[in-house]
Amino acid sequence: MSDDPRFVGRVLRASTRGFDCGNHSRKIDAQHDFGNYVCAPIANSDAVFAVGLIYKVEVKDDQLISELVLGGELPNAILNDQRNNRIIPVEVKVLNVGYMAYVNGERRCVHSLPPRPPMSLADVLACTEDEIYDFTIAFDFFRIVLQASEVPSDDLIAAAIQRAAEIDPDPDGRYRFLVNCGRRLAQDLSHDVKRLKHILSLIHPSMEA
Amino acid sequence: MTSNPKELANLLNQTRSAPLVEQELGVVVGGSISKGLVVRLNHHTSPESLAVGRYVVVQGDLKRYFCMISDITLESTNPGIQADPPDITDDFLKQVYSGTMAYGKATVTPMLVIDENDQIGPVKSIPSHFTKVTTATQQDVSRVFGEESSTNFFVGSPLELLETQINLDLKRLIERSIGVFGKSGTGKSFLTRLVLAGIIHRGVGQTLIFDMHNDYGWQATSEGAASVKGLKQLFMDKVAVLTLDNDSAVKRNAKIDYVVQIGYHEIEPEDIALLKNAMGFTDTMVDAANTLARLWGKNWVQRALNASAEDVEMISEKTNIHTGTFDGLQRRLQRFLKWHFLSEAVVENSAERILHTIVDEQRSVVLEFGRYGNELGAYMFVANFLTRRIHNAYVDKIEKALGDGSPKPPNLVITIEEAHKFLEPQVARQTTFGVIARELRKYNVTLLVVDQRPSAIDDEVMSQIGTRITALLDNERDIAAVLNGVSGAASLREVLARLETKQQAIIMGHAVPMPVVIKPRTYDEAFYSSLVDARPRAANPVAALSGRPRAQL
Ligand SMILES: Nc1ncnc2c1ncn2[C@@H]1O[C@H](COP(=O)(O)OP(=O)(O)O)[C@@H](O)[C@H]1O
Ligand SMILES: [Mg+2]
Repeated sequence: MSDDPRFVGRVLRASTRGFDCGNHSRKIDAQHDFGNYVCAPIANSDAVFAVGLIYKVEVKDDQLISELVLGGELPNAILNDQRNNRIIPVEVKVLNVGYMAYVNGERRCVHSLPPRPPMSLADVLACTEDEIYDFTIAFDFFRIVLQASEVPSDDLIAAAIQRAAEIDPDPDGRYRFLVNCGRRLAQDLSHDVKRLKHILSLIHPSMEA
Repeated sequence: MTSNPKELANLLNQTRSAPLVEQELGVVVGGSISKGLVVRLNHHTSPESLAVGRYVVVQGDLKRYFCMISDITLESTNPGIQADPPDITDDFLKQVYSGTMAYGKATVTPMLVIDENDQIGPVKSIPSHFTKVTTATQQDVSRVFGEESSTNFFVGSPLELLETQINLDLKRLIERSIGVFGKSGTGKSFLTRLVLAGIIHRGVGQTLIFDMHNDYGWQATSEGAASVKGLKQLFMDKVAVLTLDNDSAVKRNAKIDYVVQIGYHEIEPEDIALLKNAMGFTDTMVDAANTLARLWGKNWVQRALNASAEDVEMISEKTNIHTGTFDGLQRRLQRFLKWHFLSEAVVENSAERILHTIVDEQRSVVLEFGRYGNELGAYMFVANFLTRRIHNAYVDKIEKALGDGSPKPPNLVITIEEAHKFLEPQVARQTTFGVIARELRKYNVTLLVVDQRPSAIDDEVMSQIGTRITALLDNERDIAAVLNGVSGAASLREVLARLETKQQAIIMGHAVPMPVVIKPRTYDEAFYSSLVDARPRAANPVAALSGRPRAQL
C-alpha cells in the first residue's frame, strides 16, 4: 500500500456517476474527509482524471467483529490488536462532479460527468490544493451536487465549499470566495429559500474552523 | 458552452475572486422604445446609488444609446424571500442576497443615439438583450451637449457628473420662446438671471425684463447669502436699469438709468383689454372704452376719470354705453390714480426710448417695478403697454428690413413673470404676449416666461415654448402642462416630481439635444468672474454714447 499522504484508496466499483474505493482502516486520515476533492484516472487514459467529492466513508465489519461486539467486555489488548493489526476494510464513496484533462501539459477543469469511469483498482488520490483551486474557479459543479439525490447534498456542498475556501491563505480572499459561492447558490436555489438558508448557515464565514 | 471553465466563469462574471465592486450598472433584460428599457442591476449596484434623471449609456454593438433613468424597482426571484427576509445586518448574507435573489431593476428611457460615425440622432431602435449598461462619462456628456463656445453657455452640471458642463445653445434657445417653471422658491429667478446673463454675455440678443420683484437689475436678494449681483453690476454699460418707482430705487441705492413714465394720453383701450381678469374690466367696459376713445380721442382716460354730469348725460344720449357700465369703467380707471408712473404731463414716449436703448444702443433693459411689483394690475398694464408698442415697432422694422434690406433689429427676448396671467386662455388670444408666443421668431422677438403655474397658460402658447427649464413642480396639472408635447414625457414626469426643492432643474426642448437634469451653476463670485470677458468686446460706437445726457439719474 502506498504511503503517499494523498492516497485515498483503490477503486472497487465505478460508474460515470461516481465510484467507491477501498483502503484499510489504519490508513484512514484527513484525505478521507467528507467533502474532500479526490481524483482517479479514467479507464484507458493517463490524461483525464475523474474529479469527485467524498460523500460517505464506511467502516466495514466481518464475522469476527460482529462476534466481538456481541461478546460484551473487551480486554484492551484485543481492542488494540483489532485496530492496529487486523485489516478492516474501509469503503469511501465518491460523487463525480467533473474531470480534469491535461492538454499539452495544461490542466483543464470541466464541470460535467467524466466520459468514462475509472478502472477497478485505479489509484484514487486526494486533489492537491492547486487542483482544488483550479477546479473551484467556477461554480458550475454545484448543480451536480445539489441535484444528486443519493448523497446528503446540502452537507456535501457546504463541506466542499469549506474545503475549497480553506486553501486560500488570505482571509479576505476566503471571505470573497464564500460570498461568491453564496451568490451562486442563491441563484441556483432561488426556488427553495429554506434550503438556501440552511446551506448558507453552513458556509457562513463565522463557521470557519 | 466553452469547455474552459476559467473563460466561462469570466464570461459569467462568476469567478473565484470576482471583485465585489465594479463600474458597470447592469444589463438590458427587456423593454421597448415607447416604454423604455428594463435594466437588471448588477449586484454591486446599490439601488440607493441611482437616481431618476441620471444618465446612463447602453453600449450596443454599433451604437451608443444615451438614456435617462426614469424608474427604479426592487425585485426578488422568489416571493418566499419576502415572507421570511434574511438578516441583512449580517454582511455576508447581505452580499449574498443582494443582486441575486433580491435585485434592483431600472427603467431607462433612450433619449438619443450616437451612431458608429459618432453622429447624434433620434432613437429609432433599441439595443439587444443583455447589452451592458454603464454610467455616462464626461466625454459622453460633452459629446452630446457640446463644448462651451461663443454661443454655448455653461448653465449647470448633470447630477452625478458635477465636473461636467451642460452647455446651452443660446442661439437655438432664443429662436423660440423659453419657459422657466417651478414652484415658488425653487430658483426660477436665479435660473432666469443665469440664462439672461448668458444671453447678454455672449451677445446673441438683447433682453427686456419686466422685473416684478427687483430680481435682475441691481443687487438682488438671496435667501441664504446677503445679496447677489444683478445684471447691471455684471455687465454695466451693456444693461440699462429703468424703474417705475424712483423712491424704491433710491431706498435700495440702486443705480438707475432712467425713470419710466407713461402719459394718460398714451393709453389706448387695447391696453386695458388685458386687464379683464386682473382688474375686473368686463367686455362691455372694454367696448365702452373703445367708444369713448373714438369720442374723446387721446384724452379719453382723463376725461372718463373727471367726467362731469354733462359728460355722463352726453354719453348716455349719444352712445350705447349704459350708465352702469360707464360707472364701472370709471371706478376701475380710478385705480390708475394710485399709479404715480402715470402722468398727466406730456412725458417722453417711454416705449420709444426703450426701443432706442435696445435697438440703437444695443443694450438690454431691466425695468424695475419697485413697489408696483406687488400690484398685478400695474405689472400687467405696464408690461403689456410697452410690449405692444415695442412689438409693433419690431414688426415695422423687420418688414422694412425685408423690403429694403435695412439692418434688422437685434433679437429681443422679453422676460415676464407670473406669465400665466398674460397667457391664460381667456386673454392669450388677445394680448401681444399671446401673439409673440405664437408667431415664433418671425419678428425677432421671443418671450422668456417665468411662472409657477404653467397649467394656467394657454395650451397653444405652451406648445410654442421651445425650451422649457423647469425646477420642482408638485401639482399634477402643472407637471402635465410642462411635459405636454415632450417626447419621453412619461419618464420625465417621475424625474420632475422628484427634483430637489432648490437648484435642480430639467432643461428640455429646442436648445438641448435631449432633456437633461442639471444642478444649475451657483450664482456667486466664481460665476461673476467667469463672465469677466476674455474676448474683446465688439466695438459698438453707439454703446459708447450710452451715458446720454437725458439719463440724469
Ligand atoms: N443657482 C443658484 N445659486 C445660488 N443660490 C440659488 C440658486 N438657485 C436658487 N438659489 C437659492 O434659492 C433661493 C430661491 O430662489 P429664487 O430664484 O428666488 O426662487 P423663485 O424665483 O423660484 O421663487 C434663492 O434666494 C437662493 O438663495
Ligand atoms: Mg422669483
